[in-house]
Amino acid sequence: MKKIFNLLFYGLKFLLLIAAFGLTLFIFIRMNVRLEKSMVSIMPEMIPFVVLLILFIVNMIFRQKGVTDNIFYNLTCCLVLSIIICVALRAMFDTNMVLNGKYGYGVDFNFFDNFVSYIKIMLYGLSIANILFMFREKDKDLVAKSSKRTKKA
Amino acid sequence: MKKILLEYANIFAYTLTGLLFGLAFFLLFINFYHMQELATVVDVKAYNETNKAEVLNKVGIIKNNINVYDQLSYNGSLNIYGLNTVQLKLQDCIDIIESNDMMKYLDLDEIGIQDSYNFTIDFKNKILNDCLVMQIKSMFNTDTVATLPNFNVIKPYIDLDLDNLIGSTSYVQNNIENSDHYYFSTDTNRTNFFDLVDDSYVDVMNNYQSALDLLVEISNWYRNVVVGG
Repeated sequence: MKKIFNLLFYGLKFLLLIAAFGLTLFIFIRMNVRLEKSMVSIMPEMIPFVVLLILFIVNMIFRQKGVTDNIFYNLTCCLVLSIIICVALRAMFDTNMVLNGKYGYGVDFNFFDNFVSYIKIMLYGLSIANILFMFREKDKDLVAKSSKRTKKA
Repeated sequence: MKKILLEYANIFAYTLTGLLFGLAFFLLFINFYHMQELATVVDVKAYNETNKAEVLNKVGIIKNNINVYDQLSYNGSLNIYGLNTVQLKLQDCIDIIESNDMMKYLDLDEIGIQDSYNFTIDFKNKILNDCLVMQIKSMFNTDTVATLPNFNVIKPYIDLDLDNLIGSTSYVQNNIENSDHYYFSTDTNRTNFFDLVDDSYVDVMNNYQSALDLLVEISNWYRNVVVGG
């Protein structure tokens, strides 16, 4: 049961990361088009998404079980990315927010803007936790290898 | 030593993940609450019926007051240009009040945050700007109206009332616009302090009634001027 859930969260976090990345990028582009700013200014905002994606890919390629088999980490990833998607969708479709339709941009930048700092905190936090869980796995591997050596000896 | 450090790293990773888990849940709940609060619908049927009756009553008083003057039959000594100006300006205000754009709010049975906001904006644009500023305030700055009796008595009230109405309405408008920002509210807060939908609507409706009271006062002054002169 635990493995099934873990597999579900593990697969879901990739899909959610892509969706969260796409929606956030869309809102940032709309915001920059409105302000007639250079698209280069969007890049620093998207770095945490890219870092996390790279770490996920590294986890997948090197089969780092400390991360991939960690149901708590995978669940937290899904939750965090779902929140980002939820916020982005509310910024676009929650018509009860009066500034959503007032200026005719179709996105409530005022609302989304309040979340940008939280998004960065959560994504960088997940990246740091991911790196730390990788070390843990290495340590376990070393312990397992050393115990095998002692048994052979 | 290395093992201890790695154990600490593991503990730190779990702690960090736990904190992020908590933060994510906090944001989830706060979003849900915010969404729910903005989707609030308030029943204002009885309240609007009372206010509509009051509005129609006040409009009736203003109409009666300004109809005491007829340029063709007027034999008084006062400046007819001044009297004509006041009558026309008050008539313009009545046309605005009786327009569908304003009356539609008095026919609503239920209101949401958008209705409160639209009512605030329409009241500000049509009643405060188009009527009170463009018609009434400008009228009291004309030389012909300044020659009418008791002009100096009524003019300060208009300036003072108008400033209060603009300030109060702007507060409600800013408050609703700021509700898009992320904030935490509670039921206690909503009950005891300020319900965004209901209190905003009531606040603007009170301003609307105050604006009408001001127009009634001006029309009473006008009636006294015409009858007295």
